[in-house]
Amino acid sequence: MKDITETAVRFDKVTVTYLRKPALRDCSVSIPAGKMVSVTGPNGAGKTTFLKAMLGLVDVDTGGIEIFGKPLETVRGRIAYVPQIESVDWDFPITAEEVVMMGRYPYQRLLRRPTEKDRQAVRKALETVEMTEYARRHIRQFSGGQQQRIFIARALAQEADLMVLDEPFTGIDARTEATLFDLMRSLADTGKSLIVVNHDLSLLERFDFVVFLNRNVVAAGTPEEVNTPEVIRIAYGGRMVHLDHAEKLIREGKIDVRR
Amino acid sequence: MSGAETTLTIDWTTRVLEALTYYQLQIAASAMIGLALGVLGVFVVLRRMALIGDALSHAILPGVVLAYILLDAIVGHLEGFWGVWGLFLGALIAGLVTAFGIGWVTKYARAKEDTAIGIVFTAMFGLGVILISLQPKGTHFDLACFLFGLPLAIGMKDFISISIITPLVLLYLILGYRGLKMLSFDSQMAMAIGVRTTWLHYVFMGFLAATVVAALNTVGVIMSVAMLVTPAAAAYQLTNRLSWMLVLSGLFGAMSAVVGFLAAFALNIPTGPAMVLAATFLFGLTFLFAPEYGMLSRSLRRRSVQIHMAEEDVLVALARASEPLSLSALRASLQADSAVFLSRSLKNLKKARQIRKDANGVSLTESGVKEGRMLLRSHRIWEAYLAKNRIAGEAVHPTAEKLEHAHELAEVLAQELGNPDRDPHGQPIPKANGSD
Repeated sequence: MKDITETAVRFDKVTVTYLRKPALRDCSVSIPAGKMVSVTGPNGAGKTTFLKAMLGLVDVDTGGIEIFGKPLETVRGRIAYVPQIESVDWDFPITAEEVVMMGRYPYQRLLRRPTEKDRQAVRKALETVEMTEYARRHIRQFSGGQQQRIFIARALAQEADLMVLDEPFTGIDARTEATLFDLMRSLADTGKSLIVVNHDLSLLERFDFVVFLNRNVVAAGTPEEVNTPEVIRIAYGGRMVHLDHAEKLIREGKIDVRR
Repeated sequence: MSGAETTLTIDWTTRVLEALTYYQLQIAASAMIGLALGVLGVFVVLRRMALIGDALSHAILPGVVLAYILLDAIVGHLEGFWGVWGLFLGALIAGLVTAFGIGWVTKYARAKEDTAIGIVFTAMFGLGVILISLQPKGTHFDLACFLFGLPLAIGMKDFISISIITPLVLLYLILGYRGLKMLSFDSQMAMAIGVRTTWLHYVFMGFLAATVVAALNTVGVIMSVAMLVTPAAAAYQLTNRLSWMLVLSGLFGAMSAVVGFLAAFALNIPTGPAMVLAATFLFGLTFLFAPEYGMLSRSLRRRSVQIHMAEEDVLVALARASEPLSLSALRASLQADSAVFLSRSLKNLKKARQIRKDANGVSLTESGVKEGRMLLRSHRIWEAYLAKNRIAGEAVHPTAEKLEHAHELAEVLAQELGNPDRDPHGQPIPKANGSD
């Protein structure tokens, strides 16, 4: 039982394929709860697919995913998603407060206006990320770090125990990065699980747990355990070249796979 | 029981219709359809679906023609219930086939979405045109009316279908508001928390198709995409709130439809193009005069920033010279951008009592000296900062000339640089308190 409560995310032999091309192959990993976790790997390693699988946004071909010991389908809405800054339409007619209120949607009935509890959750979330005074501003008027914080506030308002962040450190300066790390650390201290897709190897030491990904899980553990030249060589090196080559031949129909 | 109800309904409708002249009925139909297209258009614009809206409106042609042929063969006439809803159903099916077709080609063929749209809607439209041309001569199907709408063609059937579809559209948007808002802003989160996004999308497409069909005789299909996009785009210039954008867009849609209809009626021209031009005119107004995003206010803002920068440049020039300067000397010391606004900025500075003019030329007052030193400090700190970050000495000055206007940031830099007292040219950097 103890093991179940302490595991935030568990991938059991997960394979995800896009048009016959496997993006994740036979991934198995247990990610501990209440930690800051980096999911790291080279371009095309399946980091985004890993994230989407966790959120239930892609169909998993084989294997299973458990969140806090429960099947993914039953805990939808308890996982918060913080998108990549570049992927957001910053011209959308919406204020900071309204973005955060979206975190309350899973709790709101059709047609019901936000309750006092919803409003309170939004206020508290904005307070935590120190954006209270800008609540009614349009989202275009914020800096990169502030934009990031609004979406973290949305995750807080959602009262999600698991937050999934997609490359939060791209396109922000060193000072903002430090503030963001402090904020994430304080959230992890309150028991939140943060899973961060992060391609920057220089940041790994500041996480509690690292998952090295290259189509499958190359290594997972504390940075001391896994941030080693050997692991990086495997994750970023040419181990998978032959496999990729074989898959390419199959895809292009140059090998008869029917027999 | 049901007989009594029917009588009651008929009685009610007749009374309403008696109260309305034919002309008023047409205006009401136009206003309602403009409203419906306007509010739906908000999501078309925000989800960047203009092209899909266009495709959908063309692609319902074969649906309408097929329904027409089938109804003619099976029911034998095009009046009453089947006359309204048969065509609707045909168009709805064609619209959904198109929406699915586009989604399907994008997903499985080696084609991007815009290519898929191009393939699917032209195929559907082509099919419709062929079906029309296969009809025996004398069959009444007016392609021009289908495409552009005609004032005389708007009749009771349109009024009925529009006054049913418009409230349905509004109801759908009220019920689906949160879901559509999230789908448009962050579809990934919507999917992650279990919003049925695919379902929501196709229901939206269904409403779009149905509304375009209802608009067939008033706006015409080709023009309906403009009535979707243009009022929404106009509303987008005016507000940062989705709820207001919906209200304004609906209002603009209704206004342009009515104005367009009246113009079409008066000049005996097709209604669709007249409505579209009315909407375009509204868009033009907001594009030029919107308070925050309009061309005019943006250029006024830019101008006032430029004047402000010119004022600061004048203060720096005078602080550097530390003696009165003639107008021509002052002009020569300014960069071209600021020199343009010289007389304007001198006037402003004089009003703010930061400079005075006398026989010797222009000189700084006491408060002007203080301001000028602060700016000079900012300029030289920026130079020091740029030089330290290995930007060649020659290029430092003109860049700093621009950056000095960010004087609050300069204090942060000064701290980072350890409060230097000389700039890279060896000039003293005035202290923050104004002394040398």
